[in-house]
Amino acid sequence: MTYGKKEILLQLYGEAADTEKLRSLLRDEELRQEHAVLSETKFRLDLLEKERPDTAIVDAIVAAAASNGGTPHAKRLDRPARARSPRRRTVLISALSIAAVVLVGTGIGLDWFGGSSGLSASQQSPAMASHEDDLVPPESLHQLVPTQQLRSLASRTDPRLAWDDASPILDMHRRIQTMRPASPLDWGEAAVPLESLPGSGPGRLQMTGSSRQ
Amino acid sequence: MHPADEILVARYVEAADQTAFRTLLERHQERVFGYLRGMVRDRDVANDLFQETFLRVIRALNEERGSYTRQDKFLAWVLRIARNAALDHLRARKKWQDIAPEDDGDESVWWDRLPDDAPSALDIIRGKDDVDLLRACIDRLSPEQREVVLLRHESDLTFREIADLTGCSINTALGRMRYALINLRRMMEDVRQSEFLPVTN
Repeated sequence: MTYGKKEILLQLYGEAADTEKLRSLLRDEELRQEHAVLSETKFRLDLLEKERPDTAIVDAIVAAAASNGGTPHAKRLDRPARARSPRRRTVLISALSIAAVVLVGTGIGLDWFGGSSGLSASQQSPAMASHEDDLVPPESLHQLVPTQQLRSLASRTDPRLAWDDASPILDMHRRIQTMRPASPLDWGEAAVPLESLPGSGPGRLQMTGSSRQ
Repeated sequence: MHPADEILVARYVEAADQTAFRTLLERHQERVFGYLRGMVRDRDVANDLFQETFLRVIRALNEERGSYTRQDKFLAWVLRIARNAALDHLRARKKWQDIAPEDDGDESVWWDRLPDDAPSALDIIRGKDDVDLLRACIDRLSPEQREVVLLRHESDLTFREIADLTGCSINTALGRMRYALINLRRMMEDVRQSEFLPVTN
């Protein structure tokens, strides 16, 4: 923008340092036309009425000022919705599953080992008492069996543990005793033949070599 | 006797003089609201931004007393807050339209990306009188030119203050004003001439 045009504008808006300069500028035809165009539009703009905010808004602001910065009437923007983190749910389910397994495993273990400790009838649960004759005294398991106090405590505190005295489990226990020698099994010694196990017989167990013929 | 803005501010801050604050608010409400109204082209939004601006002013005066240094002109300081509020609003609209607001350093590029929801030429022609026509033409100016016109005619800032507020030189502010006046005159002439042209399908 040339100096003359800039000066015309400053003169129009009353910001020129030298107000007398306008007269000399207007002697130039181009600047005179520039002045005419700009002043016509400026005149229209000066006639525009100024708008005001709503009265309620002004009152709300004054009220806020009265409460020293509090914003009782301030419009709060809605906070965007936050999606639930799937990771939390996964972790929760995993934790509950692990806890359930631990509890069930503990219950099974307590009754499994406590079923053969030879408790008196008064210390046994009713379900256990019916299978008393089937219990094999597991001398070798004395090292593994929890103390009699623990077993009695388990049966007393949680009758639900009595379901572990079912006969299939006792059979399995007997089989284990049959398989296990008096001393700890050495890996180098010959294993017990499968045919000697109860429940095995012709047609039920086969030599591995015969199946390939 | 009208006390100066700085005196009213001091009375409000130091003595919790609510009357002083109301006087300040009513003295400058048209200047601030007119600017916001012209920037966002929506009266309801302008009301919201006006309220937000002065809530920020209240917070700054009460909690962040260093924000207003008393050497600053009160109106210029308030308009700076209003301008930031308006730009935040316009940026939010821009974000909603998936345009990255990273080009804040180059304001002309940012302005160019703003959605153009200015009234169409047909809307301008439908304006009932010259005032409506002029306002519609102001809305059709480029953002930089519109802002200079609003700050000069609505907010009564000098060109030096406009340059300081918008972060440009005084020559740039004057240039924008000159082109705004020329474009406004041209648009109004075009609209008047088109009213006499036959409508063709």
